[in-house]
Amino acid sequence: MYALTLICAGLANGALYALLALGLVLIYKTQDVVDFAHGELFMAGAYIGFTVYQLLGWSYPLAFVFSIAGGALLGILLELIVIRPVVGHPHVTIAMVTVGVSYTMKGVVRLCFDSDIHTMPPVSNSSVSWGGVVIATQSLINISVAILLTVLILALFQWTRAGLRMKATQQNPRGARVVGIDTGKIYALTWGLAAAIGAAAGFLAAPVTLVYPDMGAQFILKAFAAAVLGGFDSVLGAIVGGFLLGVAELLAGGYISTRLIDVASYLIIIIVMIIRPQGLFGRSAVVRV
Amino acid sequence: MKRLLRHLILPAAFLALCAVPWLSNDYIQYIFNLVLAYVVVAIGLNLLLGFAGQFAFAHAAFMGIGAYTAALLSSRFGVSFFLALPASGLLAMILGMLVALPSFRLKTVYLAMVTMAFAELVQWVLIQWKTVTLGTDGVSMPWPSIWGHTLQGDKEIYYVILPIAFLAYLFARQLLQSRIGRAFVAVRDNEIVARSCGMNVALVKATAFGVSAFYAGIGGALFALALRFIVPDGFGMFQLILHFSIVLIGGLGSLGGSVIGAVVLTTLPEVLRGFQALQEIIYGVSLVIFMLFMPRGIAGFLQAHGWYPREILVRGWREARAGAGYGLATPLFRTEREDGN
Repeated sequence: MYALTLICAGLANGALYALLALGLVLIYKTQDVVDFAHGELFMAGAYIGFTVYQLLGWSYPLAFVFSIAGGALLGILLELIVIRPVVGHPHVTIAMVTVGVSYTMKGVVRLCFDSDIHTMPPVSNSSVSWGGVVIATQSLINISVAILLTVLILALFQWTRAGLRMKATQQNPRGARVVGIDTGKIYALTWGLAAAIGAAAGFLAAPVTLVYPDMGAQFILKAFAAAVLGGFDSVLGAIVGGFLLGVAELLAGGYISTRLIDVASYLIIIIVMIIRPQGLFGRSAVVRV
Repeated sequence: MKRLLRHLILPAAFLALCAVPWLSNDYIQYIFNLVLAYVVVAIGLNLLLGFAGQFAFAHAAFMGIGAYTAALLSSRFGVSFFLALPASGLLAMILGMLVALPSFRLKTVYLAMVTMAFAELVQWVLIQWKTVTLGTDGVSMPWPSIWGHTLQGDKEIYYVILPIAFLAYLFARQLLQSRIGRAFVAVRDNEIVARSCGMNVALVKATAFGVSAFYAGIGGALFALALRFIVPDGFGMFQLILHFSIVLIGGLGSLGGSVIGAVVLTTLPEVLRGFQALQEIIYGVSLVIFMLFMPRGIAGFLQAHGWYPREILVRGWREARAGAGYGLATPLFRTEREDGN
């Protein structure tokens, strides 16, 4: 039962890693950009939710909607202003632009809200007990939101016009432009989508992690680990990787040593990169000379 | 005459820097020491990132290893600083060559990710291995002594740090003008061409990582000496971003740029001390602005206007090709076998 409880808690954490990793993968697939500022989009989602719910006193669902919409807007603006000019530049340049964005966002939040740690109440404090296994309602909500969003995104890619255009842009931006797809719009849309998912994750994580400017720093590393584990270019991989990482972390922490909770993700990155760099679901890159 | 002047610039700069303690107070002296430590660290990162083109995120960890080796050896085992210094460089170098292993297969962001994981692991070890590193309590660095005389105060240790930093700069310059330096650039510009020219790419990468980590280790030891107290948190992500900012804002692939970057970015946070939010905003915004509008950094900007000489990798190139177009962007390949067979 202990194991099952651990696994359920792990899945709940994993759902958040999966959501962040999903955004990272979407952006990477579309623009070849690794977004080091994604942890701060996550943080922004939490802060928007906190502002709307705690400071303005509006309803909880409304706060969730605002944080998703705010995240999407932030993502689109980021793409338009700073990312678009550097697409196709060396990886160092792109990475450092996103790092710069991440520090700026942290600084702005610190300036507006100070470094204080704020609290956010969970959706509900109840928990479901089922044959000795205890699951918090919040965990169930995290898991279902993660699965729902993944299904929605896979459906988007499969059946909608916008999704097909996004897929075409991911596969071959130049070819997509030739057949009349406005790749600029697709880039902005992708960032909006990825940032909205990240902000949603931030909102869901806020009750557990609390709300403070550096809250994204640890999460982005876990999201990297999840994405690496699943394969950096696979949407399905990001989700599976996220859940696997969450469970592996807590099992290692519960049965071996609690200190391992922090390092599990780093060890996973190193091991996966050495044994199977393309991850579980990724395709290995073919370089033509 | 012009050539003579050019050869005199460095000795003159060294002499001028030797005079600094007479003009400064303790606080300014401390900043000078810190800047010099960062010069060494930044040159190391520039060798790896700017010249060998390896996008690795472990530099802060190597610096931490160097700082901790020096501090622990001299405070807990009573080893002289002048023995602990090479030891910290060597230990960082060995780990650096170990980290080079994944770089044989991985590139760009994948390499960044695995080295970042390594760096976080190092920081975790520094925090958790309490019996040796004292964990989050931190380690303090004793004053170094030489021939029975203890060097005390920021002004006296400046005379330890300055020659080392100067030697580090000179060594890097010579290294880059040797066939090793040109091999770095060849691997950066096109690995496949480098390999087809008979270079041992894996060996070149391992060398680049080793040398870079050695610099980080030495720089870390100097950093510990200048700061006199180190904690594991000091060698995390923020430190790494600081190194990247120094190298990129100073000028990627330019040794002078690293010096400029170290001066600018070490003094800036001192000016804004206590305003963490403003520090973060200024760092972040300046990184973005430099990447968007001045991707070659301050050194690249000065070179484009002719205010700072371009750095040439081949000795005698300037004399041989006077007036012809040259620059770092020109790929320099050797056609003979590199291994000397």
